[in-house]
Amino acid sequence: MKTCKLLILALSLVFFIVARAQDDPNPDSPTPILISHSDSTRTLSVSAKSWRGNLPKEVVRSFPYGTEIVIFVTNLDLLPDEGANAFRVYIQDAKGREFRLPVLEMRPVKGIDWIYGLIVQLKDEVGYWQEGPEQGDVLMRVSWRGLTSNRTRLSIGFVGGKIEDDPGAKPTPAPLEPPKKIQETEYVGYRWSGDRMRFLQQATFGPTKALDNRIRRIGIRAWLEEQFNAPYPTIPYPDLPLMPSNPPSDCNGNQNDVPDNPPDCYRQRYGMYSAQKWFYQEAFYGEAQLRHRVAWALSQIWVISGTDIQQSSHMIAYFQVLARNAFGNWRQLMYEMTLNPGMGEYLDMARSTKNNPNENYAREILQLFNVGLFMLNPDGTYQRDAQGNLIPTYDQNVVNNFTKVFTGWSFCEDTARCPNRTPGAVNFKDPMLLRPQNHDLTAKTLLNYPGSDSTRNIPACTNCSNSAAIETYANNSLNQALDNIYNHPNVAPFISRILIQHLVTSDPSPAYVARVAATFNANRSNPRQLKEVVKAILLDPEARGNVKTEPNYGKLREPVQLLTNLARQFDVMSADRTTISDGVLTSVTSPSGQVAFMAPSVFNYYPPDFVIPGTTLNAPEFAIYTTGTAIARANMVNTLVFSRINTNSSGVTHGTSLSFSDLEALAAADPTSNQLLDELNWRMMNGNMSAEMRNRIITAVNAVPSSNPLRRAQTAVYLIATSSQYQIQR
Amino acid sequence: MKRREFLKKSGCALTMLGLATQIHHFGLMSALAQKMQDQSTPPNDYKALVCIFLNGGNDGNNTVIPNHNDSSVSNYSVYYNARNPQGLAIPQNQLLPISVPRMGGLTYGLHPALGPQTQNGTTIVNNGIYELWAQGKMAIVTNVGTLIQPTTRQQYLNRTVPIPYQLYSHSDQIAQFQAGRSDQIVSFGWGGKISDLRTSQDNPNALVPMITSVAGGELFTLGQLTLPLSIASAPTPLNQVLLLQGFGTSTADIERRNAFNQLRSFDRNNQLVAAASNITEQAIQASNALQSYQEVTVTFPNTTLGNQLKQVARMIKKRNDLGVNRQIFFCQLGGFDTHQNQVSAHSSLLTQVSQAMRAFYDEMVVQGIANKVTQFWLTEFNRTFNPAGSGSTVGSDHAWGNHLIVIGDAVAASDFYGINTSNGTPFPTLTFNGPDDADSGSNARGRWIPSTSVEQFAATLAKWFGVPDSDLPTVFPKITNFPIRDLGFLVNS
Repeated sequence: MKTCKLLILALSLVFFIVARAQDDPNPDSPTPILISHSDSTRTLSVSAKSWRGNLPKEVVRSFPYGTEIVIFVTNLDLLPDEGANAFRVYIQDAKGREFRLPVLEMRPVKGIDWIYGLIVQLKDEVGYWQEGPEQGDVLMRVSWRGLTSNRTRLSIGFVGGKIEDDPGAKPTPAPLEPPKKIQETEYVGYRWSGDRMRFLQQATFGPTKALDNRIRRIGIRAWLEEQFNAPYPTIPYPDLPLMPSNPPSDCNGNQNDVPDNPPDCYRQRYGMYSAQKWFYQEAFYGEAQLRHRVAWALSQIWVISGTDIQQSSHMIAYFQVLARNAFGNWRQLMYEMTLNPGMGEYLDMARSTKNNPNENYAREILQLFNVGLFMLNPDGTYQRDAQGNLIPTYDQNVVNNFTKVFTGWSFCEDTARCPNRTPGAVNFKDPMLLRPQNHDLTAKTLLNYPGSDSTRNIPACTNCSNSAAIETYANNSLNQALDNIYNHPNVAPFISRILIQHLVTSDPSPAYVARVAATFNANRSNPRQLKEVVKAILLDPEARGNVKTEPNYGKLREPVQLLTNLARQFDVMSADRTTISDGVLTSVTSPSGQVAFMAPSVFNYYPPDFVIPGTTLNAPEFAIYTTGTAIARANMVNTLVFSRINTNSSGVTHGTSLSFSDLEALAAADPTSNQLLDELNWRMMNGNMSAEMRNRIITAVNAVPSSNPLRRAQTAVYLIATSSQYQIQR
Repeated sequence: MKRREFLKKSGCALTMLGLATQIHHFGLMSALAQKMQDQSTPPNDYKALVCIFLNGGNDGNNTVIPNHNDSSVSNYSVYYNARNPQGLAIPQNQLLPISVPRMGGLTYGLHPALGPQTQNGTTIVNNGIYELWAQGKMAIVTNVGTLIQPTTRQQYLNRTVPIPYQLYSHSDQIAQFQAGRSDQIVSFGWGGKISDLRTSQDNPNALVPMITSVAGGELFTLGQLTLPLSIASAPTPLNQVLLLQGFGTSTADIERRNAFNQLRSFDRNNQLVAAASNITEQAIQASNALQSYQEVTVTFPNTTLGNQLKQVARMIKKRNDLGVNRQIFFCQLGGFDTHQNQVSAHSSLLTQVSQAMRAFYDEMVVQGIANKVTQFWLTEFNRTFNPAGSGSTVGSDHAWGNHLIVIGDAVAASDFYGINTSNGTPFPTLTFNGPDDADSGSNARGRWIPSTSVEQFAATLAKWFGVPDSDLPTVFPKITNFPIRDLGFLVNS
C-alpha cells in the first residue's frame, strides 16, 4: 500500500525542465487542389503521349481504360525530394467502387512551378476488383500527406454516364499566381490542439490532460527529446524467480495440502499474469510512454507468445530486450533477439543442432522480422520482373543455410557465464549459450543481393579442432549472417512501413515510407538509430497536421489500445479509486480478440498486409474486427464507462475504474450539453467530430434527465467510444 | 435494393433505414450472383460444408500409415525403418486397420487416437471417427498439397514448372490452402469466393451470411464482397454470442441505443469508418436473428474443437429460422506444429479432432441431415517423414503433400481418393530421395510432392455444394491447369 501511495506521488510530480516549442513549425500541409476546366468540374487532363509539359487546352475528351494521362495539381508545398510516390490518385466509378491508379511521374508545368503534372495510368493498381471501372464519367481525387483534394470528373471510354458531382463542387481552374505561403507568426507553445491530441495517440498509450498541457507548453520536439531520455520503466519490472521443476509447496497452485501464500502466488510468480499486469500499469502510468509504445510495436514484429512461453519471467526478459533497444540500433536488436531464450524456445532455435536442425527461426527472422518475401523498392512498394511478377527475396535453400548458422545455441546453464542460472529451472533470463559440439561447421551461402558479396559466403571451418575455436567460428558466423540480413535493401522499407502502421496510419504513402527508410539507412551504424527512425515517423508531414481529410487515413485501434486510450483519458484507478489500477485486464480485451503477450502465433494478432473484405483498404487491425469482436468492443466500453472491473472474491486484485467527474461538472454546468460535447470532441476526436454525429449524440445525452449529469457524461463517452468514428484513430 | 445501388450510395451518407434494409438480406452482397438470380430459383434442400483447419501442419505420415507387408508399394516396414530409430513410429499392433479398395484391398492403418479412447476404464464421449470408415462415411484424399499445375519430381527439381510460393512456410501455405490458389497472394479465401458467387442465388432470404466462423475471420472465410459471421464457440450460448450489453428499457437507454445505431450511417465518406460500421451493422442484424436457439441433442466433448463444432451444430439446427439453404462453417484447432514432443501432443490433438468430429456427425444424424453436411480437413502441409530430434522429445518438420479426411453420408464410399502418384497408386512412395520426395541427396527428409492439388480437393467439395462447373475457375483460377476437377469422393443423395 505504501509503495502505491509513493507511486501516485511520483506520478503527480511535474517535470522542471524548461523547454520551448520554438523548433516546432506549423504542422499543417496545404490541401492539394486538383485542377479542373474553368467552366466545369471536368479534370484538366491530356494524354501522356501528347503532353509537351505545358498546361493543356480545356478539351472535353474521354480516355481508354489502361492509357496514361496527365492531371494537374496545385497548392502544394513539396519537400526537396518529394515526388510521384507522395501522391495517391483515386477514381470512383458509377458503381461506387474506388480504384487506386498508379502514379508514374510528377513534373512541374513548364514556366508555372506552382502547378504540377501527375502522370497516372488508368489502371487498378491494387488489383482488387477483377474488372475495370464502369465506363463513362468517374470522380477523381488526389491524396497527399493525409489530405485529399476536391474531386473532379474524368471520362473513361465515353463522356457521360450516371455519376453526380460532390455536393457543392465548383470548378477549380489553374491559378494564375502561386499559392500564398502560410504566414508564420511568433507564438509560444504548440497551439495546434487537434494535432496535439493526434500526436499523443500516436506516441503514447493515450492522451491525458497533463500530457496535453505539457506539449502545449514545450512543443512536440522538446517532448520527444525528453522521452528519448526518460527513465524506464516507471512501474518496476516484476522480479520473478524461474520456476524450478518442482515449484515450492506453498506456491504450486495448491497441488498439495500446503496452502499457497499469497493465495494467487502460483499465477503471480509463474504465469503470464504478472507480465500482463505490469504491461498495463506501465501503459497507464508510465512516464516513458514513447518507449513503452515502441517496444509494444516491436513485440508485434518480433513476436513470441505466452501460449508457449508460459512464465512472466521469460516474457519480461524478452520484453526488456525490446524496450532497451526501442531507441537503439536495429542490428543490435537483431543480435539480442536471436540469442533471447524466450525467442529460442518459441521458434525452436534453442534445440536446433547440426544433426537435427530446425528451420523455424531461420525462416521467420527473414520472412517476418526483417526482409519479407519479395523484393521491395526503397519506398516499400514491390519490385516486379519484366513479366510483372513479384521477385522472391530467397528460396528454401537460403533458409536451410541460415538454419545451419543458427545451430548449437541453447539455454544458458554454465554457472560461470550465466548469472541468472537457477538449478532445476531452465534459464530463460540470460542470453543463450553455444554448445560447440552442436554447431554446424560446413559452408553456408546466404542472401544474395547487390552488395552481399562480403557477407554472403561463410566458408566451412578449417581449424575447429577445439571448443574455443568452434565458439569463435560460430560467433563470427552468427554476426556475419546477421549482417547479411541487416544489409539487405528490404530491411529499411520493410521495418519502416510496419512501424508507421503501428504508430500512425495503416496505409502510408510510399513517399512517407521512403523518408523513414532513408532515415533508417542514414543511421545504420548509429547506436541510437531507432530514435531517429521514431522521430522521422512521428514528425513526418504525413503524420502531423491539425486536420486529416484523406478518407483512408488512420488506423483501427487495436483492443489493447482502445482500452488504454479510454483508461488514460478518464483517470484510470483501482475499483475503489484509492490506489492505482492493478492492470488485471486480460479478460477485458480477450473477447475483442487480443490479449497482451498472447498472440495466437508468430504472425501476430493481425498481419501487416490485411485488406478489409469488400474494399481495397490495407488495414491490419481489421483482421480482428469481426461481427463477434465488434460487439465485444462495445461491451468492453460498456463495462469501462458504466461499470468497472471489480476486485475478485479473494481480494487479491484491486480492480480498475474510470472517472468522469470533470465531465460531470461540465454536464451539470451546461444543460444543453454543448460544453460536454466540445470537450469530448477535442479530447477523443481531435476536434474533428462531424456536425451530424455531434447533434445525434447531444439528442441522446439530453434524453438523460439533467438531474443526472454523471449519466449524461457517461452516455456521451459511451456513444463516442463505441462509434466507428472513434474506433479509427486518425 | 440492388447491390449496385448499395455500392453507389456507400460512398455518401446513408439514412439508417436505408442502411439497415440493405444489409438485412445478405443475399444482396454479391453482384455476380445478382445476375444469376434471375435465371433460377433457390435450391429446395439444405447443404453445409464444415471446414476443420488443423493449424500448424498435421503429421499425415502418422495419421494414415501402411499396415501391410506388400513390398510392391511402401509397406509397414518402410515406415517403421524410417521413423522408429528416433522413436516416432507407431507400433503396428496399435494401428486401426482399414481396408482400402483403391489399393487393391490392402490394409492401411489410422492413428490409434482416431478410435475409441478410454479414461479410467470408460469410453470418453464417443467412439471417435474410426468406426465411420467401416460404415462407408469416411473418405481419405491422399497426397494433397499446394500446386500450380501437375508437377513431377524432375519438373520440381529442375524448376521447369512454376512452384507455389514459399513452400514449407506456415503463413504462406495456410494462405494457399485457404485461398485455393498457390500462384499469387490474394486477400480472399475459397469459402468467401463461393459465398460471393452463391449467396444471392442460394440464400436470397437469409438473415445471416452464408459463412459462419467460430474461429475468427480467417482468410478462408473472406470474400471479395461478402463477410463472414464470426461468433464465439460454445460454451457461450448461441443467443449471447452477439449480445450487446448495457441497454435497459428506460427512455434514455432506448434513445442511446437509437443513437448508437444511427451513428453508423454518418461519416461514411471515411472508408475506414464505413468499413467498421458495416461490420458492426452486420453483427447487430445477426444478433437480432440469434435471439433464441435450441440446444443440440448429442453430447459434445468440452474441448476447443468440440465447442466450436457444437456451436456450428446449433446454427445448423436453427437453419430454417435463419432462412439459409447453403452454409459454410470454419473451425480451427492449433498446435499441430509438432517440431518436438510430438508423440503425446499429436495423439492428444487427434483424439480431440476425432471425438469432436464424431459428436458432430452423430448430431447431424439426429438432425436427419448427415447426407447434407460434410466435414473436411484442411492443414497447411504434411511433416517430414524423417523425424526431427529423437527420443522423448522427437518431432517432425514442415513438409508438403498430405492426407485429408472427409466425413459425412455424402461420402461415396470409404476409400482413398486423389490422383495417382508416380507409383500408380494415390499413396506416395515413402522413400527418402525417392520418386515422390521433393528433397534430394543423402540428407533428403521425405517431403512428398503432391499428386493432387488443393484446388482439386476443394473443387470436389464446391461442386457437391452446388457451385456450377463453369464457375469453378472463378473460385479456383488455376483449376484449369488440372484435367480432373471432381475426385469423386462425394455423391448427392
